[in-house]
Amino acid sequence: MASSSVLSEERGARGIPKAPFIEDVEKYLGGADAEIEGPLKAIQDAISKYRYMDSNLNQRRLSLEEKIPDIQKTLSMVEYLQERREGKTSQSEDDLEDDLEDEEPTSSSKPLKTTFELNDTLFAEAELEDTDTVYLWLGANVMLSYKLPAAIQLLRSKLEAAETNVASLTEDLEFLREQLTMMEVNMARVYNWDVRRRRERRIAEEKGGKSTSEKEGG
Amino acid sequence: MRMIEQDQENDDSTEVTWEDQQKINSFSKLNTRMKGFEAKVDAAKQEKEALDDLSTELELADEDEPVLYKIGETYVHMSLPRALKRLEKDQTDLDVRLTKLSESAQQCEADMKQLKVALYAKFGSAINLDE
Repeated sequence: MASSSVLSEERGARGIPKAPFIEDVEKYLGGADAEIEGPLKAIQDAISKYRYMDSNLNQRRLSLEEKIPDIQKTLSMVEYLQERREGKTSQSEDDLEDDLEDEEPTSSSKPLKTTFELNDTLFAEAELEDTDTVYLWLGANVMLSYKLPAAIQLLRSKLEAAETNVASLTEDLEFLREQLTMMEVNMARVYNWDVRRRRERRIAEEKGGKSTSEKEGG
Repeated sequence: MRMIEQDQENDDSTEVTWEDQQKINSFSKLNTRMKGFEAKVDAAKQEKEALDDLSTELELADEDEPVLYKIGETYVHMSLPRALKRLEKDQTDLDVRLTKLSESAQQCEADMKQLKVALYAKFGSAINLDE
């Protein structure tokens, strides 16, 4: 009866097996005289499987969470470029734009100056021409040029996808954590049951031993 | 694992029922969630401090000097009023994020407290729910 895997066939979301809940420890082990070695080992195996899955998912989540700020930074820069462009076009259309534009009539027609990182702790100044195109690094040595609005859309959808992934990974991790907890509790209960049983057996033996010696003595 | 004295040991009537197991599971899940929140809240608080320091600096900055404002990974030269406006927007966004995070964290903590009360009541010293 000792199954090699104590995990049920039932799977939770995305293929994480559900841990069984032991209603009655004695029944689960198969009687008051059952050995606990087999089930205990199976439970420990299950626990280590869960822990392995847990660290796997955690690593995936961490790497995604690292990517998200990068996408956000790129997005905010592209949005800034877009804002400047819009500010410029609207200024030419309507001279009564917001006060900021009035105070600095040349701000938008000045080229965009930036100080960027050439290397670690080495910065250089650059002047950006007015442009409506940006180049986005898509990974895998691929870089494409996009018009500003399209770039913003792409980055936003990438950000959304990454955040959704993180959310679903977190959900999986939480489910996994619950199953892990159940297995740990199961292990503790089986172990405690065995401790109690050994104690009871010892007491019963001592009692049996005493009564026989009394009989002999009496 | 902790060994308890025999007289402290619970009698057989304190078995773990399915409801208890679910409570323990929820507690463990919330605990994990809480750790995530704490990390994010700390990060957000640090950012807020940085932005606050920045606004103090900008108050004393020279009007005519361009401000190198960090957007993404590069520093963009912009005028002081522009920089102040952008800083304000960034601060507001951050405050909204921080409030949301703190609220979720508090909700998590409240739920955990409830579960703690119930579980300690039933299991007493046989269960450990604190760090």
